[in-house]
Amino acid sequence: MKYVASLGGQEVEIEINGEDEIIVDGERYAIDFRSIAGQPVYSLLINGRSYEALVQLSEEGSEVLLQGQLFLISVDDERQRRLRQTSGPQLTERGEFHLKSPMPGLIISVSVREGQEVARGDRMIILESMKMQNELKSPRDGIIRSLRVKSGDNVEHHQVLLTVG
Amino acid sequence: MFNKVLIANRGEIAVRIIRACRELGLIPVAVFSEADRESLHVRYAEEAYYLGPSPSRESYLRGDKIIQIAKTCGAGAIHPGYGFLAERDDFALQVEEAGLIFIGPRPSAITAMGDKAVARATVTAAGVPVVPGTEGEGNLTDEEIIAVAPQIGFPLLIKATAGGGGKGMREVQNIEELPNLISAARREAEAAFGDGNVYLEKLLLDVRHIEFQILADEHGNVIHLGERECSLQRRHQKLLEESPSPFLDEELRQRMGEVACKAAQAVDYLNAGTIEFLVDKDQKFYFLEMNTRLQVEHPVTEMVTGIDIVKEQIRIARGRKLRSSQEDIRLKGWAIECRINAEDPYNSFLPSTGIITQSILPTGPGIRVDTGIYAGFAISPFYDSLISKLICWGETRGEAILRMRRALEEYRILGVKTNIPFHQNIIASHRFMAGQFDTRFVEERFSMNNSEEGKEELAKIAAIMATLVEHRHHQKASQIFRKSERDTSNWKWLGRWERVNR
Repeated sequence: MKYVASLGGQEVEIEINGEDEIIVDGERYAIDFRSIAGQPVYSLLINGRSYEALVQLSEEGSEVLLQGQLFLISVDDERQRRLRQTSGPQLTERGEFHLKSPMPGLIISVSVREGQEVARGDRMIILESMKMQNELKSPRDGIIRSLRVKSGDNVEHHQVLLTVG
Repeated sequence: MFNKVLIANRGEIAVRIIRACRELGLIPVAVFSEADRESLHVRYAEEAYYLGPSPSRESYLRGDKIIQIAKTCGAGAIHPGYGFLAERDDFALQVEEAGLIFIGPRPSAITAMGDKAVARATVTAAGVPVVPGTEGEGNLTDEEIIAVAPQIGFPLLIKATAGGGGKGMREVQNIEELPNLISAARREAEAAFGDGNVYLEKLLLDVRHIEFQILADEHGNVIHLGERECSLQRRHQKLLEESPSPFLDEELRQRMGEVACKAAQAVDYLNAGTIEFLVDKDQKFYFLEMNTRLQVEHPVTEMVTGIDIVKEQIRIARGRKLRSSQEDIRLKGWAIECRINAEDPYNSFLPSTGIITQSILPTGPGIRVDTGIYAGFAISPFYDSLISKLICWGETRGEAILRMRRALEEYRILGVKTNIPFHQNIIASHRFMAGQFDTRFVEERFSMNNSEEGKEELAKIAAIMATLVEHRHHQKASQIFRKSERDTSNWKWLGRWERVNR
């Protein structure tokens, strides 16, 4: 199976031949790859070198935490890659963004209203948790489509607070 | 004399104090909130009593209940740890009035130093230099603060009178944003300390935060255990501390140490305390505040002096004489502490809650870990995000740094996000290695994933691992799919079965 892994403009072609061999950008490597103790932690032996990383799948791709560095990697197989190339790059920019509460807490203040335009990085909500006040910012430009909380509300983990369209 | 000690705290510091009690042959008593029934401090204690619901206001801040429990179970002394009730003079007084011993300073010293404004006035009178600010003014209203701000000059700092740990603290750049920031600081201070009073202080730039550990006994002996370098902070929260400081020479250490002892004597100080200074490029130093309690970062001092500060606190509370004089104190080697917080360094350091699924501690030569967590333990949103302290000792600063680097790589905490990657990046930065940093370094001149060394190779490995993981997921998914292909006939099969049985 052939894959293309991309991270920050860089692309790596990886072909997986069974359990113990891969071809990376045309070069052959012997590998031993396993997950450790039922956790999202993986150990890779590649041509005798040992690496361990935390690998988690998120909406935008795979997050790999390796030796204190975080890499966000999107992996496509050949079919997905062709599909993506034909449908154009703006695909990911569409759709609504739902701001979910990153933790349980108390809404201290809401600095936006419905229908308001926001820019990437604008402060939208202050959430208090673990005795700290945390600013929740907009991840991109857009318009506040719906606002579901007000100051003084207690919110749960993952609760949708507002939607940027 | 007491032989049972109630620990009015939770988390790693409660565990730390329990250890000191055990080693001294005293009986440690834990108290716990609803969320903490399964906490390590409850499991390690000899006795443990329920305090109240999870919010600190209803549990760890309930001094009345804590004193009642101490009396009922026969504990002769209360150790407050840090945070919560540690710097509340009213609590210390109530403990004394209940006929118990407060393991810490006298209530009058907490009052004097605890009200940061009074503290500044007191040490100024004793000839100790302070950072310019609103001192000795008592509790100011919003209007009074706004009126006095231009005289101090911007930028300035709003600080909680009862404060500590960066809570209730705000930086102010101009008069326009002052009113909003005052109310934000008051709210946070009220929530953290039950006291919303604030004061102003000039914000000094290009300074280091260096503090001195003090020990004082009932017999008039006051000594210092050298300094701790605490300049690496984010939003005034210390993140990494070391002892000694790469910035101090023996002559400056001695001068600052003497001033620190003088400041402690000015309030007739007893037990362990810390004098915080700001030190500028020209080695001029200013008294910042005194923390009248055990500090989070006390272990680095313990590692280089060989003195167990918590045991020393208990001995002092039992009326003993200090076992060391100033001449006995020698700093040996170098110690570094990384505060491991449940925070996501890749997402504005947002706190992270959840259940710890794995915790593998670094071990080996020169390593110490103070923690209250274990695999299966839930990090709740009720308390602060410090979950562990990793401390490394080395013969030299270089060895301590390299040891810390390998220990951070060994440390595995899963289930919540932690700031371990942040520490790995700090440790690897050239500025840190060279000892060139000040209190603004983390916020202004540091960014994650900055090191270029071997980055391309590492990126390739990361890409390979991500691909292998996704490949496995596809394989698993297609197996399930194949299986369900066979099973899609279930509906048909059910229909037929029903027809047959009609």
